Amino acid sequence: MTSVGFNKQSANLLVWLLLLAMPFWLPAIGGYVELGERVVVLGLAAMAVNFLLGYTGVLSFGHAAYFGLGAYGAGMTIRYLVPSTGLGILVGTLVGTLAGAIIGPLIIRLRGVYFAMVTIAFGQVFYFIAFRWNSVTGGDDGLNGWTRMPLNFGITTVDILHDTRAFYYLILAVFAVSVGVMAWLLRSPFGRTLIAIRENERRARFLGIPVDQHIWMSWVISCCFAAAAGALYALLNNFVDPRALYWTQSGDFVIMAVLGGMRSFWGPLIGAAVFVLLQDYLSSQTQNWMSFVGLFFVLVVLFFPRGILGAVRRKVTS
Amino acid sequence: MSKDLFSIPVKRRTLLEAGLAIGAMQIASPFVVKSLADEPVKIGLDNPLTGTYAAVGKNELIGCQLAIEQINAKGGILGRQAELLVEDSTSGDAGTAVEKARKLIDRDHINFLVGNVNSALALAMAGVSFEKGVLHIVPGGHTDAITGSSCHWNVFRVCNTTQMEANAISGTLIKDYGKKWYYITPDYSFGHTLQAGLEKAAAALGGIEVGGDLTPLGTTDFSSYLIKAQSTNPDVIIFLTQGDDMVNALKQAVQFGLDKKFHLAGAQQELEPLEGLPPEARIGTWVFEWYWKQPNVPHVAEFVEAVKKKSGRVPTARTWFGYVSTWTCALAANTAKSLEAVKMAKALQGFKLPPEIALMPDGAFYREGQNQLIPNLYVGNAQAQGSEPDDLFKVTNVVKGADVAGTLEDTGCKLTWPA
Repeated sequence: MTSVGFNKQSANLLVWLLLLAMPFWLPAIGGYVELGERVVVLGLAAMAVNFLLGYTGVLSFGHAAYFGLGAYGAGMTIRYLVPSTGLGILVGTLVGTLAGAIIGPLIIRLRGVYFAMVTIAFGQVFYFIAFRWNSVTGGDDGLNGWTRMPLNFGITTVDILHDTRAFYYLILAVFAVSVGVMAWLLRSPFGRTLIAIRENERRARFLGIPVDQHIWMSWVISCCFAAAAGALYALLNNFVDPRALYWTQSGDFVIMAVLGGMRSFWGPLIGAAVFVLLQDYLSSQTQNWMSFVGLFFVLVVLFFPRGILGAVRRKVTS
Repeated sequence: MSKDLFSIPVKRRTLLEAGLAIGAMQIASPFVVKSLADEPVKIGLDNPLTGTYAAVGKNELIGCQLAIEQINAKGGILGRQAELLVEDSTSGDAGTAVEKARKLIDRDHINFLVGNVNSALALAMAGVSFEKGVLHIVPGGHTDAITGSSCHWNVFRVCNTTQMEANAISGTLIKDYGKKWYYITPDYSFGHTLQAGLEKAAAALGGIEVGGDLTPLGTTDFSSYLIKAQSTNPDVIIFLTQGDDMVNALKQAVQFGLDKKFHLAGAQQELEPLEGLPPEARIGTWVFEWYWKQPNVPHVAEFVEAVKKKSGRVPTARTWFGYVSTWTCALAANTAKSLEAVKMAKALQGFKLPPEIALMPDGAFYREGQNQLIPNLYVGNAQAQGSEPDDLFKVTNVVKGADVAGTLEDTGCKLTWPA
């Protein structure tokens, strides 16, 4: 038992060391810092989706809506209200969380494919609002004419627009807080209850657990971190367009979670890394890169149904 | 989970080999750095090769490749070879397009950025190139904002603005076919701006809007809109739909026999969609931004031949966009005698393209203070069958870009140069 605990701790340490040192080792092996930023941001979104999928057992195909709302929230705050990056992230996260909280009660009674389909439907509602409301969102042309603003700490300001390393560490800080909160929640009795619901919902109900309430809470938490990732994504691109809300984006998050291993905490991050790197590399090599990404995904699902991390774990334990 | 994660058996030999390889990499890398004169000048193309815009994106790519061959045959850029780096931006994912732009600029150290077909992606990429101060040529994203309200000192555009296209066609339509127009417009920003542009242009000439419909993107059944259009008895029905929507709308209009009663027209049309239409639906009055059949313009025939030899097809406006964009990079550097973006951008202010690249009767130039190419526009009619297989458009009127571009104040562009 102690060796398992040590093992987990060393794995966590390794992940954090790799993430902290990313701007230094990534360019050395032919990458670039923005690639790392993208991995971390999309990884956070995939981990948020996995909070619901992997730990509550509910599949959402509409998380792009809250991701996109976070992005638009951040972009529009900076563009129209206050030119402040910090406030943008905050408003974006709040907007996405609020939307999730309101929509939650309408869908938590549904299960399985019905839940997935209704989440898609709600997601598409936001997509079409962004697509059609030209005067505010910029419509199909996207929301532009703004950039991320320097961080003002009172004593010093950090230019995160031109200093990509500084921006990377801002992303990593938000990521760390989000991931820390998620890990803490999962270790709490609340998290254990979610896993109980995932394993056997009827039994959990018989034990007197208010299942719908728990799923709603899990849903809102998941939407909150998806929105935070969306806000970072908007800052990363200095741009938001309705595609960030489209259902294919939700599909990408689910793919990342499944690819990396949805029963593992770090799985979705690894899935996001593989997804982003594969796309980045293959699409420079061939025009038919989508076939290869698809093939890779099919192979993983066929042969490693527990994802990459799941497969590694099994090998270690066997 | 009994074993430690780090106790996976690794052979001693593997470890040694890995160590050696890493060591060798450290030593080997300095020798890869070449002297600056041998380094090629890099042009990064970040354009769709997959998705909705794959066909037009690939045509732009062919134009770029042809230009690179010619540039190198004529002595390169500042005496150095030119090299084209191609990245797929996808047709709609701004995140990917931005990431690819950053990859080209930060990792591959390109000197020029070219792209994108999709207006939204072009705007998103312009944000990156502006931030990094890299000269950026937009070959084919039409939204006004690129050289209008969102213009930047480093962003130049080859294709026309939607307003220019609207201005180019409205004169012909009112003069030849009548003042009462009915609009069938796709319900998103491209359609809205195009209709607004046409309304503005028509109003100036006494045109009247008798009605209009906003059709959702992806509409397959246009019958209700067409019946409504018929009941208002317009002179001209204007189709602003694109892609598959255009194909469906035109096919159904012909099935309803509307082409016999009213005149059908639109703004922008390209050779690629016309090739996708059945012959009976190749009708209407449109604007082409470049056409391959220009018997009286020198150099066009050679260009058509060169493209045919390369791709087996005649060049479209898209091929020409790619060609002009890439040549613009070379001309900017050679004129400024520098690869500094600011110097090159200054050299391009009011720059007139040489005739063998402009390939237009009145030539083409980049308007000072807006960075917008002012070319000729070709107004004419789509035709079911021409004298040659790919001759699907009959040019009736070549419009001078300067006449339809409006004033600089109208565009809303204010360039601010770096200090």
